[in-house]
Amino acid sequence: MGFNRKGFLLRSALVMGGIFLNGCVRKLSGRNEKYRHIKGHLKGPDEKAGHMLRDKIVIAEPSYSKKVKTLIIGAGISGLSAGRWLKKQGMADFEILELEDHAGGNAHSEGNTVSSYPWGAHYITIANNDDELLIDFLKENGVITHFENGLPFYNEFYLCFDPEERLLIKGQWQEGLIPKFGISQQDQEQIDKFFALCNQLKYAKGEDGKYAFNIPLDASSEDKRYRDLDQMSFKDYLVKAGYNSAYLLWYLNYCCKDDYGQQIKDVSAWAGLNYFAGHKGTAANAESGAVLTWPEGNGFLVNKLKSYLKPHIRTSVMATSVVSNKDHVEVDVFDMLKNQTYTILAEQVIIACPQFVNKRILKNTDRNLFDYDQLNYAPWMVANITLTDFPASGLQTLSWDNVPYGAPSVGYVYSGHQQVDHGKQAKVITFYLPLCDREPRVSRLAAYSRSYDQWLDMIIPELEYMHPEITPLIESVDVWVWGHGMISPSVNYIWGEDRKKARSSVAGQIFFAHTDLSGISLFEEGFHQGINAAKSLLEVNR
Amino acid sequence: MHKKLPVLLLTSVFVVATCGLIYELIAGTLASYLLGDSVTQFSTIIGLYLFSMGIGSWISKYFEKDILFWFIQIEILVGLVGGTSSSILYLVFESAASFRIILYSLVGITGILVGLEIPLLMRILKDRYEFKDLVSKVFTFDYIGALLASIVFPLLLIPYLGLIKTSYLFGILNVAVALIVCLNFHKEIKRASYLKIASIVSLLVLLAGFVLADVITKYSESLGYNDTVIYSKSTNYQRIVLTKKGKVLRLYLNSNLQFSSDDEYRYHEALVHPGLSAIPGAKKVLVMGGGDGLAVREILKYPGVNQISLVDLDPGMTNLFKSNPMLTELNKSSLLSPKVKVINADAFSWIRSQNEKYDFIIIDFPDPSNYSVGKLYSNSFYRLVRSILSEDGMIVVQSTSPFVAPKSFWSVNKTLESVGFFTTPYHNYVPSFGDWGYIMAATKPGYKVPEHFPEEVKFLTKEGIAQMLYFPKDMQKQDAEVNKLNNQVLVKYFEQEWGSVSYQ
Ligand SMILES: Cc1cc2nc3c(=O)[nH]c(=O)nc-3n(C[C@H](O)[C@H](O)[C@H](O)COP(=O)(O)OP(=O)(O)OC[C@H]3O[C@@H](n4cnc5c(N)ncnc54)[C@H](O)[C@@H]3O)c2cc1C
Repeated sequence: MGFNRKGFLLRSALVMGGIFLNGCVRKLSGRNEKYRHIKGHLKGPDEKAGHMLRDKIVIAEPSYSKKVKTLIIGAGISGLSAGRWLKKQGMADFEILELEDHAGGNAHSEGNTVSSYPWGAHYITIANNDDELLIDFLKENGVITHFENGLPFYNEFYLCFDPEERLLIKGQWQEGLIPKFGISQQDQEQIDKFFALCNQLKYAKGEDGKYAFNIPLDASSEDKRYRDLDQMSFKDYLVKAGYNSAYLLWYLNYCCKDDYGQQIKDVSAWAGLNYFAGHKGTAANAESGAVLTWPEGNGFLVNKLKSYLKPHIRTSVMATSVVSNKDHVEVDVFDMLKNQTYTILAEQVIIACPQFVNKRILKNTDRNLFDYDQLNYAPWMVANITLTDFPASGLQTLSWDNVPYGAPSVGYVYSGHQQVDHGKQAKVITFYLPLCDREPRVSRLAAYSRSYDQWLDMIIPELEYMHPEITPLIESVDVWVWGHGMISPSVNYIWGEDRKKARSSVAGQIFFAHTDLSGISLFEEGFHQGINAAKSLLEVNR
Repeated sequence: MHKKLPVLLLTSVFVVATCGLIYELIAGTLASYLLGDSVTQFSTIIGLYLFSMGIGSWISKYFEKDILFWFIQIEILVGLVGGTSSSILYLVFESAASFRIILYSLVGITGILVGLEIPLLMRILKDRYEFKDLVSKVFTFDYIGALLASIVFPLLLIPYLGLIKTSYLFGILNVAVALIVCLNFHKEIKRASYLKIASIVSLLVLLAGFVLADVITKYSESLGYNDTVIYSKSTNYQRIVLTKKGKVLRLYLNSNLQFSSDDEYRYHEALVHPGLSAIPGAKKVLVMGGGDGLAVREILKYPGVNQISLVDLDPGMTNLFKSNPMLTELNKSSLLSPKVKVINADAFSWIRSQNEKYDFIIIDFPDPSNYSVGKLYSNSFYRLVRSILSEDGMIVVQSTSPFVAPKSFWSVNKTLESVGFFTTPYHNYVPSFGDWGYIMAATKPGYKVPEHFPEEVKFLTKEGIAQMLYFPKDMQKQDAEVNKLNNQVLVKYFEQEWGSVSYQ
């Protein structure tokens, strides 16, 4: 451990030294002439809150206390979903606390005069047909309009419009993301073989009769045959199975970066395969695996969840300490606007925050001991880029998802794609860069130390590579850094002991819900995390 | 005085006369291109021009001293005004309201300046010739110049140089004369160096115009229009280009032909009457697309229809077809009718917020050549259309050519059927388009060919419709997929089928 830490410090020092030096050079040489016209800001989750939690800034004594029957901390998808469930079960006395000035967490979205756009999560896949809870939610909110022959009929304005995806490979944009332009026969064979395997795994079942792979993942089979796949990396699995096509490996690596923020070497084989075999939803009016998306991304779903919960959500309120006593849970909270601390006495609490936060705020509580360091979070940089125009000719036009082969980013998504009207000339695109070249801790520190211009140095060359001469059309670039973007399904996390322990509730009083407790960061997982926590809470009450 | 003077000055009479007439011809031609009705345009312009020349001659008496100086000065001015006039007229045409004022002012100014030239010249020369000699010499050169101009203008200048270049060329000649006279007689002229500089600067300006004109011409040629472009404007949504050849007007949107005035009635009659004549009680009609007002013109032939809504994305388009005299003549000022309400909105967004019902709905969008138009041919769109159609109502969709693009055509048909419509596909021959297709659709089966059509129709008859409903062997129904927002198959079919055909 000690050695590991020293190595970590050294690596961090080197990387940050590099960034610092580069920053100095930038200061001396001035801003890149080509970017001078670009406006924008560096953004991210509330910094003050982060400091308060990390640096243990002395927080004033609580000035008063109040009682709330049930308290939910965190208004991400997990917390909102828990609140929705309580509400549906007729509960009225509950509050949801959120430290940011908006609910939504990593599914947050914003907008400008051109379009709405996501800052994080931007789509979901059509629901698995046996996921009744999710299907109910989608039905309640008009995402599923009706059923035909027993199959859900999805709202056609929400199914991703065509053209959906394109890949820039060998100087050409091809339709779809699986490389096909100019690849060899052998490559094609390996790609076909891999997808044949996935199709088979999709419907494979374990001895207990459950699907080997599923979403939510806790619904999948306990069969060791499959679960053991969690103990090796996806990369090792692929090598062992004889896959060596550079194109196939690039594609799988891209998929893991896109969904898990990590490369195939850093995620477990079980997680890697679940990406392809977990989603098996079918629909009356869409192909299996079709995606649902909105200009504001999953901000759409956040708003739907919020619509159940209007009077219950308190924003700009941060929980700073949670203590479990005999007859109630004492939660100290800090009102970020009034700069005031008070105490909430709750009978029961659902903490819907990531575990690295919980580690700080849970005091004097004998939570089932687990190793917090087993939870790795992938850092991300997301940039929303406003373009005055996007030259397109004929069918060579923007797709929803636009990906460059072999580049560090996972490309960009065009937020305006789901608009039915003719569309404006100006457009917003959302550029996604998982920071996964180094171990998450190093990448995170590096990300925090980069200046706005240094981010432009990473974004613009890639955009130029995809679209030569695009720089003059860029009006603004807003950059958002997610230090702890999403949980990584590292080897042995999903089916390991730590996750199991971390999920268990404390004394029938404190319950946990967050995508990091499922191991893959998807809307569906957060949605079920919330419902499960709410259900366990109600169970205790009964 | 210099010996060369008379010869030089007489040459300049010749040039001045040629230039003067050329400017007049240019203004007349431009006006009839842009405003239509060449007889009216030419006669008003010639009249005004001659009248202005008269004013010029009359003013000439107020010039007493330094006549040579004034002559050169005016020469430069004529060159500048005349040379740039056609570019100015082209540029301001788009703001149609003030166009006539600017046109007539330019003609007036040129006329006055040209009218000044000859009397001044005669006074400069008066000491060198007998009066009768003078008059005969000056007017001989004047008329020869005019003759030359009227011959070379249609035969050489317009075909080889085009309007804009021609006017710059003659502007240059005008100023060149001024410069030569000035150089030769600088000793006799006051402020010769000022005149020299002025004429050189003007020459450069005109030369630049001449070169730039080339760029403009090249640009419009690169768009592939065979005919003279008389109007072109890039709105927020599209590039509108109007061309004219002989009497025939053609409208292009983003370089795609929308109509040709000599046969558009075949298209619009076929689009409107088979459906509308079959709904006897129709009162409310909706037109989507078709901002040219030509479909509306056909609808207005039904006195029973008392409300027409036209939804077109582009105000640039509907305003042009409300105000340009050539175009309002073509659409019979249909967009100005009190029965017509023009709504400039995106059809898809607009229809989502509607609940009023219509008896007949005409869908006349551009061909599905890109994804944004493709959405307007999707099942989701047709479902919305269905929801605002009255019980016994009918819709008609322009559906590209079933001959060139059968898969596209039958995909539209299938898409309409997929949302519960009963369809009646048909087609007719429109010379400038080829064999063109339309699909009528209703919520009930059983389309009956109407017995009567409005009297004014030029093309449609009951027997004709029977033919239009028949699809010969080479246009038989084909299997095609339903066009949806999440597959956009129609755009792909269209690209495949039209891609191999060189676009109209
Ligand atoms: C760049 C990016 C792209 C993504 N794309 C997708 C996608 O396309 N599809 C998809 O399904 N998923 C995507 N995800 C995953 C996404 O994170 C999850 O879908 C989901 O939004 C996670 O919800 P959550 O509630 O579990 O966590 P969070 O969103 O982390 O919610 C936790 C909430 O708790 C609040 N909080 C923390 N500490 C405190 C405190 N002390 N007091 C009060 N409140 C506190 C936080 O502010 C936050 O709002 C993406 C994630 C990222 C980073």
